[in-house]
Amino acid sequence: MTHWAWLVPALPAFAAVVGLFLSRYVPGGPAVPAIVGTALSLLVAVVLLADAESNPGAVHQTTVPWTPLDGFHLSIGTRIDGLAAVTSVMVAIVALLVQIYSTAYMAGDPRYSTYAAEVSLFTAAMLLVVVASDLFELLIGWEVMGLCSYLLIGHYWQTEGARSAAVKAFVTTRIGDTGFLFGIFVLGVAAGSFDVGQVVGRASAMSHAAVTAGALLLLAGVVGKSAQFPLHVWLPDAMAGPTPISALIHAATMVAAGIYVVARLYPVYLAAPDARTVLGVIACLTMLGAALAALAEDDLKRVLAWSTVSQLAYMGAGLAVGAWTASIYHLLAHAGFKALLFLAAGSVLRSVGTNLMSEMGGLRQRLPVTFVTAVIGAAALAGLPPFAGAFSKDAILTAAREHGGALGTAVYAVGLVTAFVTAAYATRFIVRTFFGSYRGALDVRAQVHESPLVMTAPLVVLAAACILLGAPVVPNSYGVASWLDAPTGTVPLHLDAAGVVLSAVIVIAGSAAVVALYRRRPDEDPVTVLGHAATPLVHAFWVDDVYERLVVRPAYATARAMRLTDDSAIDAAVVASGQGTSAVGALLRRLQNGNVQAYVSGLVVVVIAIVMTVSLAVAR
Amino acid sequence: MHLSLALVVSALLFGIGVYGVLARRNAVAVLMAVELMLNAGNLDLVAFDAWWRDTMHAGQVFALFVVVIAAAEVGVGLAIVLAVFRLQDTAAIDEVTSLADRDPRVLADAAAEVDG
Amino acid sequence: MSPLLPVLLGVPAVGAAVLALVPLPDRAARWIGLVVTTATLVVAAVTTARFDFGATSRFTDVVDVRWLPAIGVRFHLGVDGISLPLVVLTALLTMLCAAYTIGTVPDAGRTRQLLALVLLLEVGMLGTFVALDLVLFFVFFEVVLIPMYFLIAIWGGNDRGRAATKFILFTLLGSGLMLVGFLLIYSGAGTFDVVALSRAHGAGIARSTQLFAFVLLLLGFGIKSPMWPLHTWLPDAHTEAPTIGSVLLAGVLLKMGTYGLVRIAVPDLPTAAHDVAPALGVLAVAGIIYATLVCIALATDPQADLKRLIAFSSVGHMGFVLLGIATLTATGIQGALVGNIAHGVITGLLFFLVGGLKDRYHTSTFREIGGGVLAKAPVLGGLTVFAAIASLGLPGLAGFWGEMLAMLGSYQPAQTLSRPLFVVLMAVAGVGTIFTAVYFLAMLRRVTYGLVGDAWRERPLRDVIATDLIAWVPLVVLAVAIGVWPKLVLGISSGAVHELLR
Repeated sequence: MTHWAWLVPALPAFAAVVGLFLSRYVPGGPAVPAIVGTALSLLVAVVLLADAESNPGAVHQTTVPWTPLDGFHLSIGTRIDGLAAVTSVMVAIVALLVQIYSTAYMAGDPRYSTYAAEVSLFTAAMLLVVVASDLFELLIGWEVMGLCSYLLIGHYWQTEGARSAAVKAFVTTRIGDTGFLFGIFVLGVAAGSFDVGQVVGRASAMSHAAVTAGALLLLAGVVGKSAQFPLHVWLPDAMAGPTPISALIHAATMVAAGIYVVARLYPVYLAAPDARTVLGVIACLTMLGAALAALAEDDLKRVLAWSTVSQLAYMGAGLAVGAWTASIYHLLAHAGFKALLFLAAGSVLRSVGTNLMSEMGGLRQRLPVTFVTAVIGAAALAGLPPFAGAFSKDAILTAAREHGGALGTAVYAVGLVTAFVTAAYATRFIVRTFFGSYRGALDVRAQVHESPLVMTAPLVVLAAACILLGAPVVPNSYGVASWLDAPTGTVPLHLDAAGVVLSAVIVIAGSAAVVALYRRRPDEDPVTVLGHAATPLVHAFWVDDVYERLVVRPAYATARAMRLTDDSAIDAAVVASGQGTSAVGALLRRLQNGNVQAYVSGLVVVVIAIVMTVSLAVAR
Repeated sequence: MHLSLALVVSALLFGIGVYGVLARRNAVAVLMAVELMLNAGNLDLVAFDAWWRDTMHAGQVFALFVVVIAAAEVGVGLAIVLAVFRLQDTAAIDEVTSLADRDPRVLADAAAEVDG
Repeated sequence: MSPLLPVLLGVPAVGAAVLALVPLPDRAARWIGLVVTTATLVVAAVTTARFDFGATSRFTDVVDVRWLPAIGVRFHLGVDGISLPLVVLTALLTMLCAAYTIGTVPDAGRTRQLLALVLLLEVGMLGTFVALDLVLFFVFFEVVLIPMYFLIAIWGGNDRGRAATKFILFTLLGSGLMLVGFLLIYSGAGTFDVVALSRAHGAGIARSTQLFAFVLLLLGFGIKSPMWPLHTWLPDAHTEAPTIGSVLLAGVLLKMGTYGLVRIAVPDLPTAAHDVAPALGVLAVAGIIYATLVCIALATDPQADLKRLIAFSSVGHMGFVLLGIATLTATGIQGALVGNIAHGVITGLLFFLVGGLKDRYHTSTFREIGGGVLAKAPVLGGLTVFAAIASLGLPGLAGFWGEMLAMLGSYQPAQTLSRPLFVVLMAVAGVGTIFTAVYFLAMLRRVTYGLVGDAWRERPLRDVIATDLIAWVPLVVLAVAIGVWPKLVLGISSGAVHELLR
């Protein structure tokens, strides 16, 4: 069956082509190829997962020769192991739900067919990253995802915000991707092959310098794609795109691709502990910083964006301390609850027409299904047992504490503080949107309605996933660990009852703090209680401004200087050579003054000179 | 008579002729100086003819050639001088400079002046 | 002795003569142009079909007759794995130009003479790629210059006289230096034959002569490539040239310079190549950074000209090609060759599209175009987005392989070269790719996205017509095909490249 694995990325790609060029001829409109393509892909992925479940630990690789390079033979194909199977199912499910949801959310949009095709293409690219057997094949999927992200963020390109956010996203991830490409070079050359299996297999045999350099360079791409510090700045702005794609791309899939790649190539990271330390440090900084920034955001979607950055840092931290299974488990859980939260946010936005929480409030009666599912999602985000995000996060923290050494202790400490802040902002999100009194301008009774079934059904499905992925987890994670064949040398998934209780207490404390503030002053933003300390949070620690000043403006200034040099120095030299030639010509022209006697004088002098020279030479 | 006497005289005549070509203003004087140079050459030819006692008398034959060519050249030259004199009312050779290579911008201005 | 290559050169030559001498009406002339270029493409296809893909380093369809025995010049033609893709690219692009001209006539009219010049240009371009004798190569190299000069000078934009003069004088200077280089090679090796010279690997040429000759060839080919800082003729020439002139200039003429380096300079003068390669690498990367920065400045200036931006982007792309050559490895040179083809396809498409925009908006300045092309002409706008994305080297499209292989070759350059230097060059080239993304996206933001300018809000704008699509779609398909299946080009050239570097 695994030699049909190529269908998994191919079907949505085909759907994208059909949707882009032939949607006119398809009965039912552009939604049909998109949904059908993704659904069929999901079917194949589920079959692959069943296959993986029945043969745990097996890796099936099917490749065809691709192109000859000097000294390397690139081949293209699929590499299906437990990780790939599980992730492809996750991606396909979320993509399918988003496509279904979009038929209502984007109804009436004149460019819906392009949108649906771009989402299909994106799905194909992500699935290509998941199943790729060759590093360059993976890179193609990686970058095509970046392209689709750019196109989809810029969907509302009539607005300045969308245009600039799209460019920012692409350029920021491109910076990371350059390092990623160089990482591929280092690892491929050191392994003698660009095949994922070969690279992973020979990782322990590579020189320490090569494997560490390769791992660090790959990290650059991971940091860009997964929006970690210092390349996290694009994700909050990317919220200018339509909400369903925020759910798909910027919560569940593309941003998870970075974590996925680290997990996929984990033996490389096992052989490069320095790279893992760097990852861990970045993760700690990002985890807490992003959570604090989420606490101060007024825009609903930006809260979720910062939350994504923070949660991805959890996964990164888990991988840094060796908790492979726990990190992937958290990746799956996060896909579920974050997609849910974004789609729920979309439902709210569509109903009230604004992103700002200060213009919402008291919506729980008008949007009941959205409210309940959002609460479930927020609980999962906060890490409240028995919902999905709780045990995965605890597993990471337990592994960090028990096996992580100094770095692990730091991760544990920062992780607990972040859990508190996460619970706080998740509760703030729920409270500001659904509780209190309505602060907006619409007539709530007449204009705010629950979203149609096509939008609420995916919410319910995802809410169910949040519960299912969490509840029957102890002691051996409901089979999730058994589907994922963890590389040797990683920490297996396990939980410590004391740890679970401690983090549950912290979560409840964070939540309770916000609830208490709400009770005291129902319509005020809880973050204002921090007073002036909130200022760095509101400005996201001024990272964007620093970049603007230290990177963007000097780059533009240098560009203008180069252009000036070209016009006034280099080109001027060329033009000057022409002018110089003309000047010499003008000088020589003076000899031609029309006076015959002058000409003859010159003649006489030169003839005498020639005669004398010749006769002297002959005489010698 | 020694050869060197004729050569010295011929050289002196040639020198006077060169001076005349380069320094005289009057076109007719220049032509006369050219005649002087040609005749100096003739003198040399005849002198060497006598010195080598040439049976073919090549030197004297060439001297006759030179005389004929000089006459033709003077005819053409005087015709040109007459034409220039009729056009520009001057026989001074340093004022006849219309074949000079001038800066195109100056030429254009001059042409515009003539037209305008 | 196969007649195929003389036919390949003869068909456009006859076509040029017919169009130049016979006073045909405009419409007939355009159709004849299309027929002749299609016939040439068919001959090129036949050449490809007859090509022995198992032995790509061997020259096929060879013609080798005495021509000028007194100076040792033979009429020697042939194709191998390096020249075949370029021949096909040239024939294809010229045919697409002829197809485009059927639907879109340039403002200055006189299409009969235009097509005659284009066909003459095609003879020169094809001849350069199939010539296997140095003097013959030089002749065809020069044949290209005159038609291009007239193309720019007569059918060009507002400042065309100056641009055309600059173009021809600068490239003639390069050709002159190149000729001296060739004569130096002859004086050492005793033959003008390219095949014999590349087999000899510089035997018989003293080291100092090699160095001198290589530098002269580098200058000559570098002016054509263009290599920084000899690039300044390019922006003006491209900006002022008519659409098909720019397409052929960017798509084919620039390739002649780098082809010359790969075919002649590197294999015939290997010691000098190893000595000069670091300098070439530095200049190549300097060109990449310089050009991309200038493009950023142009893309963010409303008064700037869109064609000038694309022209400078060519300087950047050819920088990658030159870097690939500078690494003196099979990987790097393969990257250079595929980068050549990819650049020809993608930048050819870009110039077609920008020419289309210029025809419709009657201007190519950012401010006057305004924005929102996607709203006014969706197909044209969509193709522009595609072409810009392809040009910035997105993996999955043709441009990626050239850039990637050049950088991979730089990571592991030839043994005699300094690896630390080349790794630094690789990193700087990587920064260049980031800048490339910045300016192309900035360009898209200004042109295809955004709100429609006031002047154009009410006026209708013609979207693509049939001949536009016939001219552009093959390039789109090629860009994707080579991007997804690079073996189309790499498979053909790999044997020949190995032979070259032995």
